[in-house]
Amino acid sequence: MTTQDIIRALNETFELKAEVLHGNQIRVSMHKKQVAPVLLYLKNQWGFIHLDHVSCVDWIEENVFELVYIVYRPQDQLTVLVKTKIHREHPEMENMEGFWPHMRTYQREIREMFGIEFPGFEAPREFILEGWEEIPPMRRDFDTRGYVKRTYTTRPGREDAWSVREYITRRTGEKLPDFARKYSRD
Amino acid sequence: MSIIDLKGLLVPLGALKQIAKEPHTIKYPDQTKEISERYRGFHYNDLDLCIGCGNCSTICMNEAIDMVEVEDIEGKPGDSGLRPRIDYGRCCYCALCVDVCPSGSLSMTADFIKVSEDAFDFLMIPGKDNPGGKDKITFDASTDTSLNLFERVPMRELPPEERVQSFAEVFLGYTEEEARIEASRCITCGLCTENCPVHMHIPEYINAISRGDDEEAIRIIYDNNDLPEMCGKVCTRRCEDVCALQVRGEAVAIRWLKRYATERAENADMIRRIVNPEIREPNGIKVGIIGAGPAGLTAGYYLALKGYDITIYEAKSEPGGMIMYGIPKYRLPYDSIQKQVDYMKSIGVKIHFNTKVGKDISFDEIYNKHDAVFMGVGLQKGYTLGIEGEDAEGVWAAVDFLGLVNEGKRPDMGKRVVVVGGGDVSMDSSRVSRRLGAEVVQLYRRRIVDMPADDEEIEGALEEGVQIIEKAIPTRVIKDEKGRVKGMEYVRAELVPPEGGGRPRPVPIKGSETVIECDSIIAAIGQKADFGLLPEKVQNSLTFERGKIKVDDERRTGYPKLWAGGDAVKYGRVDAISAIADGFYAAESIDAYFMQVKA
Repeated sequence: MTTQDIIRALNETFELKAEVLHGNQIRVSMHKKQVAPVLLYLKNQWGFIHLDHVSCVDWIEENVFELVYIVYRPQDQLTVLVKTKIHREHPEMENMEGFWPHMRTYQREIREMFGIEFPGFEAPREFILEGWEEIPPMRRDFDTRGYVKRTYTTRPGREDAWSVREYITRRTGEKLPDFARKYSRD
Repeated sequence: MSIIDLKGLLVPLGALKQIAKEPHTIKYPDQTKEISERYRGFHYNDLDLCIGCGNCSTICMNEAIDMVEVEDIEGKPGDSGLRPRIDYGRCCYCALCVDVCPSGSLSMTADFIKVSEDAFDFLMIPGKDNPGGKDKITFDASTDTSLNLFERVPMRELPPEERVQSFAEVFLGYTEEEARIEASRCITCGLCTENCPVHMHIPEYINAISRGDDEEAIRIIYDNNDLPEMCGKVCTRRCEDVCALQVRGEAVAIRWLKRYATERAENADMIRRIVNPEIREPNGIKVGIIGAGPAGLTAGYYLALKGYDITIYEAKSEPGGMIMYGIPKYRLPYDSIQKQVDYMKSIGVKIHFNTKVGKDISFDEIYNKHDAVFMGVGLQKGYTLGIEGEDAEGVWAAVDFLGLVNEGKRPDMGKRVVVVGGGDVSMDSSRVSRRLGAEVVQLYRRRIVDMPADDEEIEGALEEGVQIIEKAIPTRVIKDEKGRVKGMEYVRAELVPPEGGGRPRPVPIKGSETVIECDSIIAAIGQKADFGLLPEKVQNSLTFERGKIKVDDERRTGYPKLWAGGDAVKYGRVDAISAIADGFYAAESIDAYFMQVKA
């Protein structure tokens, strides 16, 4: 089996344009409705029996989340990255917990970290975070630094820290006006 | 099914084939587990390579990294002197700090075990507290994986063959999109500000440009530079020499970004509306300024903002001094200077043109009419070559030649010009001569790499067909029977390192005399000041050092109520931005002086 065989099969069966990412890796993007049939097809017809990983990327500028399902065929170490983009407003993806048992773990993680819902998925909502009351923390609009500032105290012994800008300004005698300060780094 | 289950007996024996294989487990503590190739354990920082920019500290969302003073590390231009210290109670080992390290000093190691009962032990200065980490680096800040953008957005320019046809501006300026992208490369550390003589607020105005706030950028720029459009085009940009990104890539195009922002204000009225400076009530104190060059204009502008009554006396008919008469128009167009001076006039700066001090008005008269005087007279006279035959017709001092061309005259330089020198003025002379239609040969006594001229100028001159002869020392001007230049004789030199170290010295090679035929010669080997305007009693109370007036940190001379700045003063470097700094600090000093007198 070669990458070209898989690319051809995906094209003939689903009219998808897959491409070689590098080496034994194939990448293919599709509408979210095609993801379940494609994953089942790869698993049952082509021996991609292992779900390697599911990841999510927040493309906030495009107002979408991108989900990436990575499946693996052990005989010849072939990998396919199945990608899809879903709207950032009310994001939903098909529940595929029946395909692989550990899909549950990935779905729980993505639901908690990005706030993506999988209708019909009945696993407990709380996964890694405890008593989380903010927006999902892996979303790009989550203010990590603000959260850190609000939540954690600074340990003693760190009072001698300098702002690099201030430190240099003190050395040069530069007088930084207030209206400029809002563009400073710290 | 037989009584004896043969298969059941034999199958377990298959496991025996594993007996000779290496086990996957390890014998702890005799053996330790192998660490993965790109493991992210404790940090290591090459303290010599680190420039203390603090980008690691800024990127850390857990606020685990502090920038702290470290024993034996001194700050200098291009190095804040601070080094990162990591709170391992907060670090999540994500390595973003390594990915954004511009110098490549920060890395992560295979070490991950530290046992201590003292919580403070977990505040560590990488490199200082774990010098051995150097040999255990697993995750480094390679330029392949770095998140810094090391390549600058190229500046569009006219093709060389088109440039030499006219005095049209060579560089075309960034478009809005180009400026935003270039500005976004800046990591806003501020190392650059230390190398700028006037310490402009560089990270702030670049950050404003990257956010699309061009008018705010202009306001920030004018806070301590009144001639920023000029600087945006022709500054010597020492700031870029110490940019954090130039350690492993191309410096942020600070000069071009300043040019982009200041060109958004198309005329004096727009500058006035955008900068909208606070102007203090007139205080009735009169300050006279000699010379409308960058130093004088700057002192005048910032004093006018502080409520002083400013009059500038200028010998020439146009403002700007050397930036008007010395810098060719293809680098700095006339309108660009005029616009900035018109803005200063709108603030209340008065300029008397065609008023040469010492001829049209005496120094004493100015001194008596005003409560204080600032002098920025520049370097008006070119040094002569000091060789036989240089009184020939057709031998020019670069400053006179460039001045004439900038006044709009087009002297006949003949078919071939020889330019002597290696600084920016020599490049200007060569490139202007090309524009006047001459072939140009430039002689320099060291190598091209040793030239003090801006690399961009050298490159521009070569592209425009200027031929540079390295290690060549002029020895004689050859005249024809009418006393006109006919040729130039020079000898080749070899560079000999002087005893006791230092810059190699060019030593003539005997018998290497060569003659180039030429119609004109331009000497661009430096200029000197002319203090003839000062009465003897004033001259006697000033200190001169190598032909320049000595001033203190506040640009005060030894004569009461007389401040001085610019090229004619011994303070810092000889360039426009240093002159601006002189004018700026003199204005602060003059103001402080009168505030004290009042109090």
